[in-house]
This record gives sequence, C-alpha cells and structure tokens, in this order.
Amino acid sequence: MNFVMPDFMPALPEMFLLGMVCFILLLDLFLSERSRVVTYLLAQSTLLGALLLTVSLYEEGRALTFSDTFVHDPMGSVLKVFIYLATFLVFLYAKDYLRARNMFKGEFYVLGLFGVLGMNVLVSAHSLLTIYLGLELLSLSMYAMVALQRDSVQASEAAMKYFVLGAMASAMLLYGMSMLYGITGSLDLGQINTSTAAMDNNSMLLAFALVFIVIGVAFKLGAVPFHMWLPDVYHGAPTAVTLYLSSAPKLAAFAMMMRLLVDGLGGLQEQWEGMLILLTVLSLAAGNIIAIAQTNLKRMLAYSAISHVGFLLLGVLSGTQAGYAAAMFYAIVYVIMGLGGFGMIVLMSRAGFEADSIEDFKGLNERSPWFALMMLILMFSMAGVPPFLGFWSKLAVIQAALGADLVWLVAVAVVFSVIGAFYYLRVVKVMYFDKADVGAPTVSAGFDLRVVLSANSLAVLGLGLFPGSLLALCVAALA
Amino acid sequence: MIPLSNYLILGAILFCISMAGVFINRKNLIILLMCVELMLLAVNMNFIAFSHYLGDTGGQIFVFFILTVAAAEAAIGLAILVVLFRNRRSINVADLDSLKG
Amino acid sequence: MTFEQILFYAFAAILVFAAGMVITVRNAVHAALFMVLAFFTSAALWLLLEAEFLAITLVLVYVGAVMVLFLFVVMMLDLNTAPMREGFARYLPVGIVVALLVIAVMAMAVGQRHFGLEQMPVPVPHGADYSNTRELGLLLYTTYVYPFEIAAVILLVAIVAAIALTLRQRGGTKTQNIAEQVAVRRDDRVRLVQMDAEQRK
Repeated sequence: MNFVMPDFMPALPEMFLLGMVCFILLLDLFLSERSRVVTYLLAQSTLLGALLLTVSLYEEGRALTFSDTFVHDPMGSVLKVFIYLATFLVFLYAKDYLRARNMFKGEFYVLGLFGVLGMNVLVSAHSLLTIYLGLELLSLSMYAMVALQRDSVQASEAAMKYFVLGAMASAMLLYGMSMLYGITGSLDLGQINTSTAAMDNNSMLLAFALVFIVIGVAFKLGAVPFHMWLPDVYHGAPTAVTLYLSSAPKLAAFAMMMRLLVDGLGGLQEQWEGMLILLTVLSLAAGNIIAIAQTNLKRMLAYSAISHVGFLLLGVLSGTQAGYAAAMFYAIVYVIMGLGGFGMIVLMSRAGFEADSIEDFKGLNERSPWFALMMLILMFSMAGVPPFLGFWSKLAVIQAALGADLVWLVAVAVVFSVIGAFYYLRVVKVMYFDKADVGAPTVSAGFDLRVVLSANSLAVLGLGLFPGSLLALCVAALA
Repeated sequence: MIPLSNYLILGAILFCISMAGVFINRKNLIILLMCVELMLLAVNMNFIAFSHYLGDTGGQIFVFFILTVAAAEAAIGLAILVVLFRNRRSINVADLDSLKG
Repeated sequence: MTFEQILFYAFAAILVFAAGMVITVRNAVHAALFMVLAFFTSAALWLLLEAEFLAITLVLVYVGAVMVLFLFVVMMLDLNTAPMREGFARYLPVGIVVALLVIAVMAMAVGQRHFGLEQMPVPVPHGADYSNTRELGLLLYTTYVYPFEIAAVILLVAIVAAIALTLRQRGGTKTQNIAEQVAVRRDDRVRLVQMDAEQRK
C-alpha cells in the first residue's frame, strides 16, 4: 500500500475554521451571559480570517488533494468567499434579534460556523463521499438551528418537517449515489465522469441513478415538486435562522449541483437537461403564482426563493460554460438580495413582535422613508426591474439559455417573472400608499444593523449600475 | 451462487417498504424516523453488495460513514422530536398544522 | 439450492417481513423491536457479502445504541397509541399500490439484465488470513482520512445540537450537585454549639 502525505495547503481555510469553532465552543462555556459578545466577535473574526486565507489561495489554480477527495479550484474559492461574506452579514443582522429573544447563545454561532464548514466541504468536494458528508454536516447544523428557539411551537414544527423531509432527500440522494458507484465502480467524481461518458448503451441504468440524484439535489435546492418543506421552514424558523438558511446554503446547493451534475455526470448532460427543464418550469410557475396569495412576508419570500431556484436551474441546464457562469452569478445575486429582504424583517422586528406580515410594512414610508426606499430597491431588484442587480442576473441567465436554443423555456421564464413582479410591487404599494396603523412603531434597530443593511441594499443598486465586474468574476471562475 | 441482482432487488424492496411507510404512517413521527433509518439500511445493502461484487473496498468505506452520519442524524432527530413533544404534547403528524399559508 | 442460497433467501425473507412489520404495527415499541430484527438479519446478509466489520458495527452501533435511543424516547414520551392509528387504513391501499409500482420499476433496473451472473460474476472468496477490519482500517486512516475527520465533526455537531436542544434546568427538581458534594467541608454540615446545661426545675 503506497500512501503519500496529502498536501494540506488547499484545505487551510477549512482547518482554520475547524480549529476556531472548537476554540469558540470551549471558550463559550466560560463566558458569562454579559460577555457573550466575545463569542460573536470571535465568530465574525473567524469568518474574516477564513476569507483572507481563501483569497490568498485563489491564485493557486486547480489542485486535488487528500487522495482526490478534495478539489481546490477558482469556482470553489469564489463561492467560499461569498459564503463567508453572507454568513458574516447574517451574524451581524441577527445579533439584536437573538438578544431580544433570549437566543443570544454560543450554540447559534457554533452551529452556524459548523454549517459554514459543511458548505466549504461541499463546495470543495471531489468524491461522492465528501459531497454526502459536507451536505450532512450542513444539514444537521441547520436542523438544529431551526429548533434552537426551544419554546416556540412553530419553530419546533418547522424543524421536524425540515428534518424528516431532509433526511428522506438524503436517502434518495444516497440511493442514486449507490447506483452510480455500482455502475462506475468508483466514488471519485473525475473517474465517474470518464466512465459515464464512455458508456451510453447502458443509458437506462444511468438514467435510473440520475433520477434519484436529481431528486435529492432538487429537494436540497427547494425546486418544485420537492419544495414542500421550504415555505414552512422559512416561516416557522426564527427570522435570524431563516436569514441563515436562505443565504449561504443556496450557494452550497448550487456548488453541489455543479459538482454532481457537471463535474461528475457532465457526459449525461442530455439526460439531466430534460429533468431540470421540468423542475424549472414547475418552480417558476408554482413559486410565482403561490407567492401572490401569501400574507406573511417570510412565506412570500420563501415562494420567491423557489421561483429564483427556477432561474438558477435555467442557467445550469443550458449546459454551457456561459450558462454555468450565469447560474453562479444568479445564485450570488439572489443571496445578496435575499439577505437584504430577510434583513428588513429583522430590522423591523422587536422583542415580542416579528414584523413578518406584509401588513406590518404598511405606511413604512411615513415612519422611515429611508428604509422604505431600501426595501423598494430590494423588491424591484428581486422583480427584475432594470437597472437593479436582479435584472442583470435574470438577463445573464436568459442570454445563456437563448445561446442553448431554449427559446420556449425563456418565454416561460419571462412570463412568470412578469407575474412574479406583481407580488413584489404589492409590498411597495403597501409601504408607500397604505396608511400606517395607529401606533405602528418606528424603526429602532441598532446602528450597525442600519448601516450595513443600507449598504447591502445600496450594493444591489450600485452593482446593478456596474454589473460587469461581478459577472466577469463568475465567468473567470468557471473558465 | 447468488447473483448481485438478488441483493439489489432486496435493497429496492426495502427502500420501497420504507417509502410506503412514510406515506401510510401519517400519525406517528417516531415510526417516520424509523422508516428513514430503514431507507438508509437499504442504501447500505446496495453499497455493500456492489463493493463485494466489484472487489472494491470504497463501497464499504461509504457504508461506514453512512452508519456514522445516521447515528448522528438519529440523535438530532430524536432531540427535535423531544422539543416538539414538550411544546405540543403530541407527535401526531396531523397535529403539525400551525404553519399554513 | 446451495447452503448459501438457503441462507440468503431465509434472511432476506425475515428482513422483508421485519421491515413490513415496522411500518404496520400499532405500537412504537414493537416497531423498534422489529427494527432490531431487521438490523440483525441485515448483518447476517452482510456476513455473506464478506463485510464482517460492518456487520458487527451494524449490530453494535444500531442495535446497541441507535435503537436503544429510540426505545428510550418512546418510553419517555409516554405516547397515547390508540388515536394515532386513525386514517391508517385510508392511506394503506395507496401506499401498497405505490410501493408495488416502484418496486416493479426498480427491479427492472437492477434486475438480471444489468446485474446478473454474466455481467457480475461472484468473486472468489478471500482466504482465511484476510482481515476485513484491517483492510478498512488501512483505508480509513490513509486514503479516506479527510472524510474521516469530517465524520468526527458531524458527531461533534450532533452532540452540540442534542445538548443545546434538550438540556434544561427545571426549577423544583431534586438533583445532586456532585461538585458541591465533593467540595463539602465538615464545617458546612456540623455545627458544634456550646451551651449551658438546662437547669432542673
């Protein structure tokens, strides 16, 4: 048996993360309730440290290590950077919310950082085994985070639904992986790719494995018809946790799809394209139409997330480099907008008041014109109105799909995003044209939350005016 | 001589029984969790059978990790179940109705 | 029929029966015990497949730990089983039909056509000096060391999550504080008082 010592350098950010989380976990035990802010600051500096390490490794180029179970490549590095940034914002937005609800505890940060580690593992996975383990590390952290508000009936119900459906999805994915292993005789994505590309006479068997894998991925992404968990979980979880669930894990799910379907099963693009088309059309239709009927803003944003997943899939199923880059751009843009959207709910909420109903935003313009404007920017961007960032991401995906001759699918996507614009505009209408209820409170959030949330929203506008650099980054990462 | 297909069909039957279990047990969350464990058992059966017939140890290694993760998953699932029970005094699936929209 | 085949069909039949009972029995404790039976028979089948280490692990980890945990929770929650079965009959036919359909499709995919004896002949059994445990151990600590570390982290997450979700201090419960008991000194418990003797009246 010949074994060479693996090169540890590409996994430096992961090792740093793990070391720091264990340190925080231990330190938190000895902190008093009042000095809990140290945990928060350490968690934030861990994310920044990992960010610096990942950026410094960006130039290294593609490398495989740990017996080819770990891959370091530009796509992974870019996604990891945005995962750290998104989680950084989540922790920042969530601080006051958690404090007001007696949830400002070390566990939230420890589980959140373990989730980030899981996402990193998933993003850098180059073997079915590491994909599975990364996914489970992320999912287990998220199940626990949803249930973290222990005395809330809604949160524990949401956690149970999430857990049961998530575990079933993992089992489906595993069944697909077992078939893939049986067909190709390998767990390594590179070897799976070469062997599946070589065989096409056996396609019925490969399609069988593929169905289970696509179902598993669709569950994790929240694509229709495997979306049942998503609105309930987003609604039932504490908003701080919803913020976490809706942001960075989307990037990880995108990475999982890319690793499995493109790196591992790129040769079967024709087969999975059809399945993804079905998921895309259903997601766009169901997401946009059901969102109209929602009165709860978190639920509405959950259905909006489903429709955004439809667009994301549209980019991936184009099957071209441009399509993958557009999908990655879309995922990053969605995360920025989603952070802003759920961040607004956190901003408006106070102890004992969740502010998660659309009614709660009535007449926001009178109470706080600045944040009404910020929300307007976010809603317009999600609806895809130019010149906001959301427009460019939709445009990039549509161009990629047109490049792959999927004209009718593009038409469907455009029609449903026009329908979708309705419910985003309803929020704007409520804010600007409805009278506020008597005694509706003003925004009273902390200074850091106000500044960063404003910067978040302005970034949607600013990057929308100059979308070239972010898109170029995505294209370069996938080149 | 037992062909590989026998083991795989056994795995498929187990998988379907546990899927059916999820569908018909709309009333008891604990049995739902057991069905998930049973699904993983079916997957493990597949991996070990493939591993044996392919002469490759990778499949057995995968099963080792599935067993580990499934144990962790069961711990978290049961913890969530206990939290839910403390809040609702019930683990009836039909009672999970506070989230609608 | 060879001895191996008899073993396979016997254990497979028990396994399917146990799985069927898990999803249909009334009582959650019975379901857990049938799960134990299913795990034991699976372990026997894995022995036929020369996966000795995993077969033992399945018994030790699943039967020994996971199912005991399930039983603990079932006992702890004190479930009222009678009303939980309503609507069972309503879903049963749908369940059976769906399951049979899916089994048929799956059996077609994984059946003799793709994985029969011609495509995948039975491998030559390992010699008596082959150690499955050694083989897996060598791989786990070399080639698969990275997944191994992640698995360790997953177990840590499970510990953190389970404690964070369920540990609580309830007021009014009578629990021991070991540290306090150990650190106790004589002066905390016994007070010697000096007092004058009572005067006899």
